[in-house]
Amino acid sequence: MAGIAVSIYLTALHYAGVVPACPASGAINCEAVLSSSYGVIAGTSVPTSLLGVVWFGVNAALWTRPAVGWALLAWAGAGLLAVLYLVFVEIVQLGAICLWCTAAHVLVLALVLMAVSVRR
Amino acid sequence: MSTRRATKKQVRPGGAGPSRRPPPARKPVSGTPAWVAPAAVVAAVAVVIAAFLVYRYYTTAPAPAPLPADTTSVVVAQITGVPASEFEDVGQGGANNLLQPVSGTPLTGATGKPEVLYIGAEYCPYCAAERWAIIVALSRFGTWSGLKTTSSSSTDVYANTPTFTFRGATYTSQYIDFRGVETSDRDQKPLDNPTSAEQQIMGKYNSAGSIPFVDFANRYTFTGATFSPDLLGGQSWQEIADEIRDGSTTQARAIVGSANLITAAICRTTSDQPAAVCSTPAIQALEKKLG
Repeated sequence: MAGIAVSIYLTALHYAGVVPACPASGAINCEAVLSSSYGVIAGTSVPTSLLGVVWFGVNAALWTRPAVGWALLAWAGAGLLAVLYLVFVEIVQLGAICLWCTAAHVLVLALVLMAVSVRR
Repeated sequence: MSTRRATKKQVRPGGAGPSRRPPPARKPVSGTPAWVAPAAVVAAVAVVIAAFLVYRYYTTAPAPAPLPADTTSVVVAQITGVPASEFEDVGQGGANNLLQPVSGTPLTGATGKPEVLYIGAEYCPYCAAERWAIIVALSRFGTWSGLKTTSSSSTDVYANTPTFTFRGATYTSQYIDFRGVETSDRDQKPLDNPTSAEQQIMGKYNSAGSIPFVDFANRYTFTGATFSPDLLGGQSWQEIADEIRDGSTTQARAIVGSANLITAAICRTTSDQPAAVCSTPAIQALEKKLG
């Protein structure tokens, strides 16, 4: 639920045209990340954070159905790959870290670890 | 009883008779501890992120050395001599219109003319990008001297964006006054302070204190960059100047387009003077957009 909340918060700020409370200079810079071309899905004006809403939502649905353990693991893996790509963009492409995005990334990692643990 | 004996015979190893071998007892295995898989995932993620950091460290270009004065004057002459036809062709180009109409006592400068007030800092990459457009735009109303090259911070986003500094530069015009305040150098050491009046203007129109902040005689303001500093990354001043003069490049569309927006805002403060600049179709069209 925390992941959905963070993703919805970032999505709402995008459509409101507001920058989240976050330092705006140096390596921690939400504005630089969210206003970059990577802040939206390529070729659209849809914020990347909306993908987070979808991912966390589907993940929550899969947790309610124990019979789909492999699907949960695959979904978690897809989420982890997406997070690694976004971290790559932040560190290598932009040279800036968005704290709110990092909060969502940590939550994805936590859910991935839970999926790996229950699947053993 | 006999049945029990027969059963015993069957299980006795090497025993005589047609006994069936029982399934071997499952050999106990040393199971992988539960924490290994999650720990492996965490370790893998940590290694990948460390690799990103190392890659970033080795691929970030060092800050370019500022240009000598004679080379700087060549670049400045190039970007302050953009032909009128190029301004007309580009229009708004690839610039984002961030200008906001504001109301207040008209801001005038040291010589009593409408003032363009810029507040920024040398470390700031958005200021670095926007200075190109400000210099190009203001060159249509007057003359620059003393501009020096610098680049934005090496440790901030869009590191080492090539630019100029307004510190030590002089601008003269018969239409407007210009005041440029650079509050910090590229290493974030303090430079100039806005006056108390300028701080009041910032408080009124830009309460978040974002930079760059540009005020056009208290009629229009904007904060931030009207195009991404990314467009200038990794290039020399000369390369950017060449791209500006090309007219068809992405950089020209961004910088000249931004300069046209700034020009339109200035024209609103000068009662559309000079006419040779303010009466052109591109500027007239942008003035209508400004509201």
